[in-house]
Amino acid sequence: MIRYALKMLVFMLIAGVLFPVAGLAHKVNIFAYVEAGTVYSESYFPDGRAVINGKVLVFDSAEQLLLKGQTDKQGMFQFPVPKMDDLTLEVDAGMGHKNAFKLKKTATKE
Amino acid sequence: MRRLLVALFMFAILSSSAFAHFGAVIPSVDIVSAGDSRTVALELKFIHPMELIYMEMAKPKEFGVSTRGKRYDLLDSLRESKREGIDPAQNFTYWLSDFTIKRPGDHTFYLVPQPYWEPAEDLFIIHYTKVTVAALGLEDSWDQPIGLETEIVPLSRPYGLWTGNLFSAQVLLKGKPVPFAEIEIEYLNESADIGEFVKPPADPFITQVIKSDGNGVFHYAMPRAGWWGFSALSEADWTLPYEGQEKNVEIGAVFWVHTRDMQ
Repeated sequence: MIRYALKMLVFMLIAGVLFPVAGLAHKVNIFAYVEAGTVYSESYFPDGRAVINGKVLVFDSAEQLLLKGQTDKQGMFQFPVPKMDDLTLEVDAGMGHKNAFKLKKTATKE
Repeated sequence: MRRLLVALFMFAILSSSAFAHFGAVIPSVDIVSAGDSRTVALELKFIHPMELIYMEMAKPKEFGVSTRGKRYDLLDSLRESKREGIDPAQNFTYWLSDFTIKRPGDHTFYLVPQPYWEPAEDLFIIHYTKVTVAALGLEDSWDQPIGLETEIVPLSRPYGLWTGNLFSAQVLLKGKPVPFAEIEIEYLNESADIGEFVKPPADPFITQVIKSDGNGVFHYAMPRAGWWGFSALSEADWTLPYEGQEKNVEIGAVFWVHTRDMQ
């Protein structure tokens, strides 16, 4: 019983030390630009690692979902410009790591 | 009479200005976040940063940005500008550039100036100068050398620094650490608000001097908000001609970082 309690204590201490750090280090980012009618998005962690298989949701200015997709091994996801509007791209890398990027209407015309 | 002599003596010492020269590349911001303007205005100059004494700067030999593993030449973006010296009759040239961030990633701007002839030291000075601007959350290359003859490579991330933070970095010459390198450090007094300029109480306060360890690594804690320049000087193993004589060349590795007060 004492051994079990000690084990739990050690586990909790390790988890307490590790997770807050992991939470910060894993802030996810998404960036997008338009070239010749195609929206190119890239999703990445601050240290440069790609967000693999992250869910990407694309909304218009009325917050209506226009399309969704998944990032590849390079963190990329691309699609034709769905609408001449201010777009919001949201990436979800799981474990509550989310972020969004606003692509202005003026940029979608490029 | 004695007081007058002391005053004259102090004036002579303070105005002799044998203090450190610094190449400088000062961007309008050190961090570009999503939602910020993507255009960064840059000033390139050759100065005594604490005393705000400018030196004439010829059009640089190289000016560019290193990002995502590639270097881009920005020499054509430079615009010449003039600034009054302490003596208003004298104007000094410095250079301006605007750069628009296109992709996320660390952007390390670098400057290779034309050799500057310094008669007081009987040598040429070339300061290889760098500054890193962070863009859109991708912190991918601030810890990498970009391949200059001599350069300072940060060991502390060179942006998002608080006042009082310790800045650690390594001095490289031809890609190898410089043991026990001498590093000069100055505060850019232009960072201070008007009327808040730092007034050094004695000469040694103008330029801070530290040495690296045997592996070229140095540390310095910055006591005030604003821009700080770090300059590690080496002597080149090559010379340049001046009036028919070969002269030594001082090559400096200069790096600029910005600090902010915690609020």
